[in-house]
Amino acid sequence: MATKSNYGWLQGRTVRKGGHASSNSHTRSSTPQVQSTSTTIFGGGIKDPSGRTSEYFSMDDQCPVCKSDRYLNPKLRLLVSSCYHKMHVHFSVSPCESCIDRLFTLGPASCPNCDKILRKLAFSPQTFEDLGVEKEVAVRRRIAKEFNKRLEDFDDLRSYNDYLEEVEDIAFNLINNIDIPATEERIAAYKAANAALTTLNLQREEAEALALKEQEDLERREREARAAQLAQQEQQEREERQREERELIDKLETSQKDAHKIVAKSRIAAAKRSSARAASSSANSSLLGMSFGMDYAKLLKTRTTKVNNVPDEPHVPFLDDYYAYDDLYTVRAEGYDDIISEAVRRDREGIMRAGGYKVEEAWNRALLTAVAGLDAAPLSGLDEPNSLGDVDVVMESV
Amino acid sequence: MDAVERENQDRQKRWAKEQKVGEGAYAVVYRGREFSTGRRVAIKKIKVGQFKDGLDMSAIREVKYLRELKHQNVIELLDVFSNKTNLNLVLEFLDSDLEMIIKDRSLVFLPADIKSWMAMTFRGLEFCHRNFILHRDLKPNNLLIASDGQLKIADFGLARDFADPGFKMTCQVITRWYRPPELLFGSRYYSSAVDIWSLGCIFAELMLRTPYLAGESDMDQLKTIFRALGTPTEQEWPGHTKLPDYVPVGQFPKTPLRDLFTAASADTLNLLSKCLLYEPRKRLSASEALQHPYFFAIPHPTHPSKLPKCTTQMAPRPLGEVDGNVDMVGSGPGVKAAAPNKGRLKRKITSPMDDPKTRSIARKLDFTKHVKSP
Repeated sequence: MATKSNYGWLQGRTVRKGGHASSNSHTRSSTPQVQSTSTTIFGGGIKDPSGRTSEYFSMDDQCPVCKSDRYLNPKLRLLVSSCYHKMHVHFSVSPCESCIDRLFTLGPASCPNCDKILRKLAFSPQTFEDLGVEKEVAVRRRIAKEFNKRLEDFDDLRSYNDYLEEVEDIAFNLINNIDIPATEERIAAYKAANAALTTLNLQREEAEALALKEQEDLERREREARAAQLAQQEQQEREERQREERELIDKLETSQKDAHKIVAKSRIAAAKRSSARAASSSANSSLLGMSFGMDYAKLLKTRTTKVNNVPDEPHVPFLDDYYAYDDLYTVRAEGYDDIISEAVRRDREGIMRAGGYKVEEAWNRALLTAVAGLDAAPLSGLDEPNSLGDVDVVMESV
Repeated sequence: MDAVERENQDRQKRWAKEQKVGEGAYAVVYRGREFSTGRRVAIKKIKVGQFKDGLDMSAIREVKYLRELKHQNVIELLDVFSNKTNLNLVLEFLDSDLEMIIKDRSLVFLPADIKSWMAMTFRGLEFCHRNFILHRDLKPNNLLIASDGQLKIADFGLARDFADPGFKMTCQVITRWYRPPELLFGSRYYSSAVDIWSLGCIFAELMLRTPYLAGESDMDQLKTIFRALGTPTEQEWPGHTKLPDYVPVGQFPKTPLRDLFTAASADTLNLLSKCLLYEPRKRLSASEALQHPYFFAIPHPTHPSKLPKCTTQMAPRPLGEVDGNVDMVGSGPGVKAAAPNKGRLKRKITSPMDDPKTRSIARKLDFTKHVKSP
């Protein structure tokens, strides 16, 4: 999604507030990357819903370097540096060759106001009159991309609130240039620790956006379908009326009956038909409306049944089919005369019996383990070293 | 780096440790997540090195048996890896346990709810017994509840497989209130019937909402049992007087269960009495219990998703209980007696046991009254 929007960015054309829309075509089309690139740290400009960037524009604009202003150069275009110093955030178009182009022809240079190294690519169009707002918006956009945890990712409201507080802290620091290296470190640490969750949430957001879009599409289609149906109905009605009129005229022409009677008869028939049509159309439209409402109702219902309306089912002793199979053996009722269990069988004092020890369980286990593997196919692939059972590897290390 | 180390690291990378949930004598438990799916897990880091034999026994037992058992009603061990000298167990994450639910007085249990919990417990236990494993520490605290309501048997720190004929087992297992009389009499040869007794006690506790047989010491435990169920006769339990630690505790008359469980149906009491039979060999097996008419009778067991749930967050548990069987809190009987470290006792404050509201309710049953009543 991020790449997509960046791509849209490159495509999006710049609209200037305050007129001169035509000047667009005069901006140097050979340097579109100046407006925004995916490598721009703070992105640039704020897009309106149509995907375009509206640039801030005023008659008092003046390039702080070459002092050219809008009066002399109506196509003047100011850009903002990544350190948000307006002083030198300028970029003017011809005739006075772009100052930015000029200043940065030899690569990155430092800002005269602060010591920050600036690059040509990091300049971006200005959306807001107040550069503080411009910066805050850019910072928040960047932060939101990384810190996208949701309430359901936390175990309780408190830890979620703590998280929000931390995010706000970071944003505040970045906006007000407090402790930037430490803050960046914090962000990096968070990024490393939560990479998986961040991408997961990103995917979730995408999925939600997609679902929303689908929903909107569905609604739109429904509206269209309804409109089409109405139009069709109207058309039908019109045709019918015309046909009736024709019929009536034909009858009047050919029939020998009283003209008044024929007219009255046809009127009654027409009234009947129209009332029938009204009934059917109302039924139809209610059906349409219902289909939409029904989706909702169904959705709600499935959601509530999940919580409440699962019927209690009769008891089933075992949920697996373990006892559906016949054993390959039967334990002898009279027991076995084996050496191992001799002590138990003798049990002169009866303490094993009193303690509840069941030698039958031991016999059963011995027989089961003896025959359990009889049907199993021989293991294969044991020669390859990496087909080792993972259990064994771990157990070895333990 | 050899293959084992590499494998180990690969495994470790699959899990994200997030937040420490609690610490005990043997382990620290973290909440975590599986990186690939975001699934919540509990990571139990076993401390190694402070025991003279290396690893704590309960950790070995837990890995040994949970590795083998996979069932809807048994906690799932997802992974095991070691990190430096620590052993890490990755377990399924479960939000609450049956003890919390029993103690939450805002919840009302329907007979169908109890039936559902018992059926799930018996299914889990039947699966263990089917695989020849004794749990040996069943109590409400170790029956964890998943978010979908499924009950899972946890804490296999005291589990072992059925002993071979003639081999001794320790009788110092199972938390006292849930310990069967043969273990209290010191029997070293016992069977799956010990777990059934524990389930009987849990069954009763679910109905009473307070521990059924709460003895203050091992001696008192026997007395409590006999007070409640009558002193066993030689006929009822042949040979029990020959058990190693047998001591006469006095004669108590039998009281019908009906006197205490006034609202229970005949089926319910029948199942309960068969779980609490003195003669261990006559006690019901788990699979027999699952086929008992009680479960088939109306009302049907509640669907797990509708069972009462704890509204409160699970307080960090004193991990002695999570881990093995050390009960440092003192409000329940433990198996291993002394708390290993005084400092850990502080954790008690957050234990649900000590909530004054619940404390006043979880009182001891006094069976003497019932003995006197007709």
